[in-house]
Amino acid sequence: MTYETLEVRVEGPVGWLVFNRPEAGNAVDARMFVELEAAWAELENDHQVRAIVNTGNGHSFQTGLDVRQLANDPEALRASSRQTRDFALRMTSWHCGVTKPVIAAVNGTCAGGGLHFVADADIVIAADDATFLDPHVSVGQVSAFETIGLLKKVPMESVTRMALMGAHERLDAERARQLGLVSEVVGAGELRDRAQTLALRLAEHDPERLRAVKQALWSALESP
Amino acid sequence: MSYEHLIVERHGPVGWLINDRPEVRNAMNSAMRDEFAEAWTELDNDPAVRVIVHTGNGRDFQTGVDVGEVASDGVGMERYRQSMEDFDVHFTSWHQGVWKPVITAVNGICCGGGFHWVADSDLVIAASDAQFFDPHTSVGQVVAIEAIGLMKKMPVEAVMRMAFMGRHERMGAERAYELGMISEIVDPPERLRERAQELGETVARNSPAAMAATKKALWGALETGLTDACKQGARHLVSMWGHPDQAEGPLAFAERRDPDWQPL
Repeated sequence: MTYETLEVRVEGPVGWLVFNRPEAGNAVDARMFVELEAAWAELENDHQVRAIVNTGNGHSFQTGLDVRQLANDPEALRASSRQTRDFALRMTSWHCGVTKPVIAAVNGTCAGGGLHFVADADIVIAADDATFLDPHVSVGQVSAFETIGLLKKVPMESVTRMALMGAHERLDAERARQLGLVSEVVGAGELRDRAQTLALRLAEHDPERLRAVKQALWSALESP
Repeated sequence: MSYEHLIVERHGPVGWLINDRPEVRNAMNSAMRDEFAEAWTELDNDPAVRVIVHTGNGRDFQTGVDVGEVASDGVGMERYRQSMEDFDVHFTSWHQGVWKPVITAVNGICCGGGFHWVADSDLVIAASDAQFFDPHTSVGQVVAIEAIGLMKKMPVEAVMRMAFMGRHERMGAERAYELGMISEIVDPPERLRERAQELGETVARNSPAAMAATKKALWGALETGLTDACKQGARHLVSMWGHPDQAEGPLAFAERRDPDWQPL
């Protein structure tokens, strides 16, 4: 598949899925909505790929659905509405059933729906200028999936605070590290190198073992 | 309604619920327990109130049940025991189904049953001299409900340690912040209420209906596993579709003005 909104490439055993709408904060438009599912499938099915890094081009990691663009594309809007209503989204590695380890490397702003990709990754690292916020309630929207995913993984008060403060407060990278939302903060210029290094380490492990561990641990989140 | 053991106030869009038995470090007697049920409901039903702040008068936030009073008034202990056995309790916002955002502002000591309000609120901030401990096991009592609530929200070891160390160890505000039990330390401590009001006013700028649905989705997620929680979350998310706030939010943003939200 030829991608317009993503960069998908393979560097050694590491697959890269890079959001590539920097002019729009990497927001998910109708095209990216479709391309994400294809990209995860491509990397999952590529036998050379043993670990996947997910990051963004430009100043933002990911800023959620591009509501304005979707509003101009009734068919895409209907599809995304249906997937939302039925919780049948196909945006993240978790939605798409990816069994390989996924590292999110958060550059710059991660807002709203961008938190999906943090909640659904196995390992999360961030640039020191990364910030996290959830503006949904400030524009009359409900925050559900991405914050539910986060509250299963980090102290809940930080999640309810982020959800209820909306656009009016950001969590910085260092606090995200303290809370365990991310495990490592590096200089912005070193983020991709560090992600590649981590991914290469993961790639040394037996893929079948990693798959089994990933499945076991994510299954544990399915109990109350 | 007038209260004997609580103070209920309104400052702009922020409703205040203040524990007011400072002479017994805000321990909860039977009458105060009834008043909590009343006060949460009163603030929840007031459309002018968009956010609720809960704190304590005097040196301390709250120190659990007033065991002296409950044990000696002839009916308190039996009534208390029965309500706990049935888990038929009504003294926190979670017990009362309050879907407005609740901010707990911990002043001084929060111990034992005081953790109910830390566990059951959405934002928790504390004065820099706040101290947390759970003396139940040191006086031959079992701690369950409030510690279970905390365990669902923060690292479990810290909760178990407090439960087992009893009154022999206290956690300071700094450690509570590191653990994510609270999200902010207010220093100097005298600024606690001012900061809580500020936070309340900030949260009050968001859509009341969207926040209520978000709270339902997030608190509901504690009751179930990840996928089921997301499926239930979808219902709360969809419940806002077609609500006037969903048009008003983007419109106000485009027009660079504060949104005019529908009251809950």
